[in-house]
Amino acid sequence: MPETTVESLGSFLETQVLDPWKGPKKVIPEEYYTSGHRTCQGCESAQLMRLMAKAGGPRSIILGATGCMYVANTTYYSTPWVVPWMHTQLGSTGSAATGTAAALTAMMRKGKMTKEPINVIAVCGDGGGVDMGLSAISAALQHLHYNLLILCYDNESYANTDIQVSGSSPYGANTTFTPPGKVHRIMHKRWKKNTAAMLAAGHPDVKYVGTVCTSYPVDAMNMVRKALSIGGPTFIHSLDPCPKGWDYDPKYSHELGELAVETGMWPLYEIERGKLKMLGRSQRIVNGQFKRKPVREYLMRQGRFAHFIDEDYDYVQKKTDEMWEKWLIPGVIPFFE
Amino acid sequence: MSTGSVEVVYRGIFQKTLAKNICRGIVFAAIKEGKIGIAFGRYSDSPERNGIPAKQFAVVSDTEEELQEYLSRYEPDNNDVTMVADDTLCKGVESWAWYGLQPINKLLAKDGTLLVTSTQSANKLIKTIHRKGSPYDLATIKAQASFSGLWVYKDDHTDVRLLGALAKVAPHIVSLDSVLEAIKDQWKDDKKVASAKKAHDETESTSVGAEQGSDAEPFSFDMPGYTKMEEGLVIRGIAAKGDIPGRDGGFVPGRNPTFKKYSTRTMRPVINFSTCTKCTLCWLNCPDTCFDITPDGFYEANMEACCGCGVCEAVCPVKECVTMVNEEAFEDNDSQWELWTKDKDGYSAWLAEKIANPPARSHGFHHIGQYAEEIANESS
Amino acid sequence: MNPPSTALAEKIGGPGSGETEELISGSEAISHVCRLADVDVITAYPIRPYDTVMQYVSQMIANGDFDCEYIVAESEHSQFEIVKHASAVGARVFCGSSGVGWFYAFEALAVTAGLRLPMVAMVGNRALDDPGAFGVEHNDALAVRDLGWMLNWVETAQEALDTALIAYRVAEDPRVFLPCAISCDGAFLTHSQAIVKVPSQEMVDSFLPPYDRGDKQLHPDNPITIAPQANEDWLMEMRRQNDQAARRARGVIIEAYEDFNAKFGRDYEPFLERYMMDDAEVALVGMGTMGMPVKVAVRKMREQGKKVGFVRVRWFRPFPAVELQEALGGMQAVGVIDRDYSFGSSHHSGTLGTEVRSALYPLEKSPKVVTFIAGLGGREVTADNVVETTDMVFDAAEGKLNDQDTYWIGVRE
Repeated sequence: MPETTVESLGSFLETQVLDPWKGPKKVIPEEYYTSGHRTCQGCESAQLMRLMAKAGGPRSIILGATGCMYVANTTYYSTPWVVPWMHTQLGSTGSAATGTAAALTAMMRKGKMTKEPINVIAVCGDGGGVDMGLSAISAALQHLHYNLLILCYDNESYANTDIQVSGSSPYGANTTFTPPGKVHRIMHKRWKKNTAAMLAAGHPDVKYVGTVCTSYPVDAMNMVRKALSIGGPTFIHSLDPCPKGWDYDPKYSHELGELAVETGMWPLYEIERGKLKMLGRSQRIVNGQFKRKPVREYLMRQGRFAHFIDEDYDYVQKKTDEMWEKWLIPGVIPFFE
Repeated sequence: MSTGSVEVVYRGIFQKTLAKNICRGIVFAAIKEGKIGIAFGRYSDSPERNGIPAKQFAVVSDTEEELQEYLSRYEPDNNDVTMVADDTLCKGVESWAWYGLQPINKLLAKDGTLLVTSTQSANKLIKTIHRKGSPYDLATIKAQASFSGLWVYKDDHTDVRLLGALAKVAPHIVSLDSVLEAIKDQWKDDKKVASAKKAHDETESTSVGAEQGSDAEPFSFDMPGYTKMEEGLVIRGIAAKGDIPGRDGGFVPGRNPTFKKYSTRTMRPVINFSTCTKCTLCWLNCPDTCFDITPDGFYEANMEACCGCGVCEAVCPVKECVTMVNEEAFEDNDSQWELWTKDKDGYSAWLAEKIANPPARSHGFHHIGQYAEEIANESS
Repeated sequence: MNPPSTALAEKIGGPGSGETEELISGSEAISHVCRLADVDVITAYPIRPYDTVMQYVSQMIANGDFDCEYIVAESEHSQFEIVKHASAVGARVFCGSSGVGWFYAFEALAVTAGLRLPMVAMVGNRALDDPGAFGVEHNDALAVRDLGWMLNWVETAQEALDTALIAYRVAEDPRVFLPCAISCDGAFLTHSQAIVKVPSQEMVDSFLPPYDRGDKQLHPDNPITIAPQANEDWLMEMRRQNDQAARRARGVIIEAYEDFNAKFGRDYEPFLERYMMDDAEVALVGMGTMGMPVKVAVRKMREQGKKVGFVRVRWFRPFPAVELQEALGGMQAVGVIDRDYSFGSSHHSGTLGTEVRSALYPLEKSPKVVTFIAGLGGREVTADNVVETTDMVFDAAEGKLNDQDTYWIGVRE
């Protein structure tokens, strides 16, 4: 009897070998997500969909949970998708990926479908992923024998339904459910969930968990390619600046993503087969090669924080400092020593 | 006994509060005259996308009975006045796929008034507006489109100026006195009252004859019925494309023909191909996949797919290689790259002229205090 | 519960060995259909009493009796969403639930029908919480009656097996492409065993073609977009398409029963079972295992010369209005016994009562309809209860009982 390993518990199906693209000039010209969507000007989640589809290529199936990337993005009669796409319910991202991967596995094993590696990618917003869908995503990450990627496009609110607060909205943000008022300046007092690290820590056999930001497009695509190649259930969490919900001029989408990373509010890292690696600016922050910018530089650029006063900026700064100076693993795992 | 309805066409999110202030202001003014009214947004526009054309309406009547007709409608289709909060909307609005491109005056009644916020002359505007079977008036208030985001409102008085102008072009809906009274009630601000009065006095109308204006045919689509629609809520994905038609190499993405999105655009990128280093960043970072790769390896924005977000300008490392220019400076969606390949000198001259005066447009929130600065500059 | 034999394959017999007899429950009978139909994806989540089917299925898989992807989900919502998506890729799927579990999956149940995705589910009918009674009530499955699900109720383990095979054939017919739920009364069918004829693989293969999703299959070779968001400009057309599919299901069901009867030597009438109806003057109408005590009582009363018959409704969706008009049109009075409630409904009856009454209304001379509620929460419906009920129906026929009210049978005052 061969010994039991994570590999031996894995899928009998091969994955596609998707090598990283070394630099923007090596990125293929083909597009599998193109125009026809009604997303906002400068929508970074739409940009993430495009990068993801490019990275996955034509032999992919995309499943999209309710959210901006459904309602604004995939409208009847005007789909932007070149690859097969199917809607799934708000809380069903994990289930959609599981069901699709299970069907491919069963039918290919039984000879009911030609055997080939097909990427299964299920996308959800922060509402679908961080809030309602967390339970099903957790369950999906336990099925080591299915090849699937769950990609959370986090624009930090239920931006589609009219910008309501989610478990992934930053502290104090103005949303239609947490408006600043005469008596209560701060209505949203929860701290953003540490979702990627929570899922990585809670599902140690998952071979790839990562965080990305669309301001670094080649890195984001290569991480999607790595997740799809490595096989088994994988998870990527992307921070997508949202001009509508965050309230800023769409031309700043790219810049705000960079600021989120440079202020340390959005750490970039990957956990590959249990090995943690900080990435890009976040790695340089940890190594002391890059001094984190003050969170003000990021917050003051967004209308959703226009009601902030000094003590609010200071609180966010303090909590962010803790992430990098006090956490057991800076930017990733809390628990003070 | 009479009913009057006003359609306000605006840019999603950026002008949502502006449109709301106008429509509510109309109803408050009507109440001053003992009338009743309703204000509402076109439901299918909500949730709004920033930049995408959206609509709100105000309807005022003498009696409940007259108003009933409008109480369960999304889009009244015979409006006394169509207000346009941004003059680039005059080129037509495409709110959804399968609507096609709606002429801005489509829902305007015969002999109604199209009231536009613009710095352009009436004659220049008329050229951009699709012709209509019946005559109407065109009025403008001189101003740049007022864009702010959802959480912070840029109070540059555009709302009350349009209300004042409305009283001038459609006094049968609301009189100037009731408008000024309503503004005083709502904002308790004499400056806003004065702005409304000033706009009223300055507003002038030009009559536009039947069939006068742009004769471009707006694109449109037939909506199939249930026997023709595919079952199982299925639509066919769009085909990947390849080479630029009639040329070797390059790459043009497949693009959905039923939603072009360019009527969302208020500024467009113009590209200086002679300084372009082909670094790929504009192409790589475009959320709307609007850049074609030309056979000679340049990246050019396809003007039917571009919605003018400006990210390409922001990420371009070369000074003035990509410059966002006010959409009003363009008549067509022609390829810049083809113009450039045909006549490089001619293109350089064209480019220089386009980017000469910097875009006098700002799309929403940049930083705390910015709107106050802008208002100060505008009034000075 | 007897777990299935580890040597099941031999016991059932190899190719061409025809049917074999097994002492099994309705749940185990349906688990055999999962094996014989070569189901590709099955999802389970624990709740009494339907879960017995998954206990048999999992044992069969463990024993290698058949091959499928078997997933224990983390909630009923996920359980039904997983098979919904598997069906979209072209996999044959099976699922099931009971009571509030079925309700927890409600969102998934709605979209599965809306998306025109075939699925066969077993509902082990159970009372809704609170309180958490395990016994049978039909309110769980009935809750989806307006959504496009095909619904049927069976009386015996044999009928459960046969109906499950028919359900796959109908649900996966491209003219239909709708999900189907087979309701088995909790305890009486899920937990008690009877002799059942289990067909051979050849017999099943001759009746049930493979599931072919055709050009609706979600696959890279067929790059379609399924269920993009639509607004009021499209939704009525989409609903009308589902209405057409539900209408077409009727004919496809009749076809399937004709073929099934021929190949399996049964004599099912597709939508109804009629018992001693030939010269009946009054009729009782019901669904599920209630048919047993009713038949006993009908025979008893026949001996006493009372001309009473019984009509058991097999398929509630599509609803057999035409068949019921034909079967009940000549009656003096009809008594409908619901094992469910619809509080505040017309005449305070159950759901079956309301539908039967409206089906008979257009008749020239429509019989009096009097409605009853019995057996809630799994309470036994006895032959004496049925006799009591029938006497009331005769009274109604003679105008001695108000037929505008609903009467609760076997309830303490």
